[in-house]
Amino acid sequence: MSEIVVGMADIKISNNIKDVLVTYALGSCIAVAIYDPVVKVGGLLHYMLPDSNLDLDKARSNPAMYADTGIPVLFKSCYQLGAEKKRTIVKVTGGASILDDANYFRIGEKNIMALRRIFWKNNVLIDKEDTGKNYNRTVRLHIADGSCYVKGQDGIVVEL
Amino acid sequence: MRIQKLLESVDKLPPFPNTIFKVGEILKSDDYSVAEIIDVIKYDQAMAADILKISNSAYFSPMQKVSSIRDAVLFLGRDNLVRIVQTAGSSRFFRMKGKGYVEKAKELWEHSVAVAVMSQILSKKILKTEDEKLYLAALLHDIGKMLMGEAVYESFAEISQLVASGRYSFLEAEESVIGINHAALGGKIAEKWNFPGDIVEAISFHHRPDLLEEKDNKIAWLVYLSDQICLFAGYTGGFDGLAHRGINAIMDKFDFHERDVELGIIRLVEELAHAREVLGME
Repeated sequence: MSEIVVGMADIKISNNIKDVLVTYALGSCIAVAIYDPVVKVGGLLHYMLPDSNLDLDKARSNPAMYADTGIPVLFKSCYQLGAEKKRTIVKVTGGASILDDANYFRIGEKNIMALRRIFWKNNVLIDKEDTGKNYNRTVRLHIADGSCYVKGQDGIVVEL
Repeated sequence: MRIQKLLESVDKLPPFPNTIFKVGEILKSDDYSVAEIIDVIKYDQAMAADILKISNSAYFSPMQKVSSIRDAVLFLGRDNLVRIVQTAGSSRFFRMKGKGYVEKAKELWEHSVAVAVMSQILSKKILKTEDEKLYLAALLHDIGKMLMGEAVYESFAEISQLVASGRYSFLEAEESVIGINHAALGGKIAEKWNFPGDIVEAISFHHRPDLLEEKDNKIAWLVYLSDQICLFAGYTGGFDGLAHRGINAIMDKFDFHERDVELGIIRLVEELAHAREVLGME
């Protein structure tokens, strides 16, 4: 088993059943894990911000920075390895916020909303979700069976 | 009881390396003397070793090995030298063993460097200048956590429970269980080290600059904002995660907008990669 680290603003794809894709320290950022159980292809995206209109140059050099540019790349890359949309399982985690209604620090919430909008437009259903709250998360996606584990509050690991 | 133990541990801390302030003072003048700087650095062996190591790092990749402090000072140049001296001098306090409270001292250190880098991005944007005092305050803002970890790690479960209940911020939970929060404890440490008053306040109130009496302490507000942005981006150094209260007043104070926070995150990712190379962090 080998761990492949997905950095901040990064995407990793695999069809090697020995691989585990992992991303650490999701604050307000979001991890999208997708998996096709038939061909055993999976991908993990760690995006930081909702909308690429903020800095289009950045979006071209690193689409994984944003929801609207990162999510299409994640799906297309998996399709190239044989995954099919109708079989793909989608799990989402992250998007934490600080306490109180500080209306200028809504990055977590905006990241979640951006994702819902994109999935809704493209008829993608979210199978499992663990978002919001105010702690950091680490996510692992096992390519062998698509199982997905989230380490959250107090370091407790739960299967998503 | 726990407070007593904590305050005793503040007294037992080794002194903060004078070198940082002395070098900063010398470098303030435009025609600083290299000999004077060497005189200060050579008595601080840990610092001298760090400076040599960084000068020979892949980032600077000198044509020839830099083997003396004199060569290093000439080679690095003023701006690099200031940052490297501040960072090397502070890093030693994050090598202590962190128990329970700070899972890994290395992570807290990485968070600290991220906040320091973010503080300069914000300072350039908001105050139109970089600020060395701000850099140091940002670098050491969480120093209190290192001692909290040593003295009260057994209280950690209790703090965690209060935070999980959703009614307490991490800071409030610390106060309720231990009687002091890590920011205030950090302020005590900065006081013991005879730091300037605005740095002491910035560390003490880095989660609640709105509670400061001196409302115009820009360092405190900028450390707060830098810390928050790093927590969003995922550069976190402990269990507190995002369990901190947001203070809306900061946006008016600096005419700052949500968009600026997001742009700040993009800059942070870029500049931190650069800073890590300069500072020779793996």
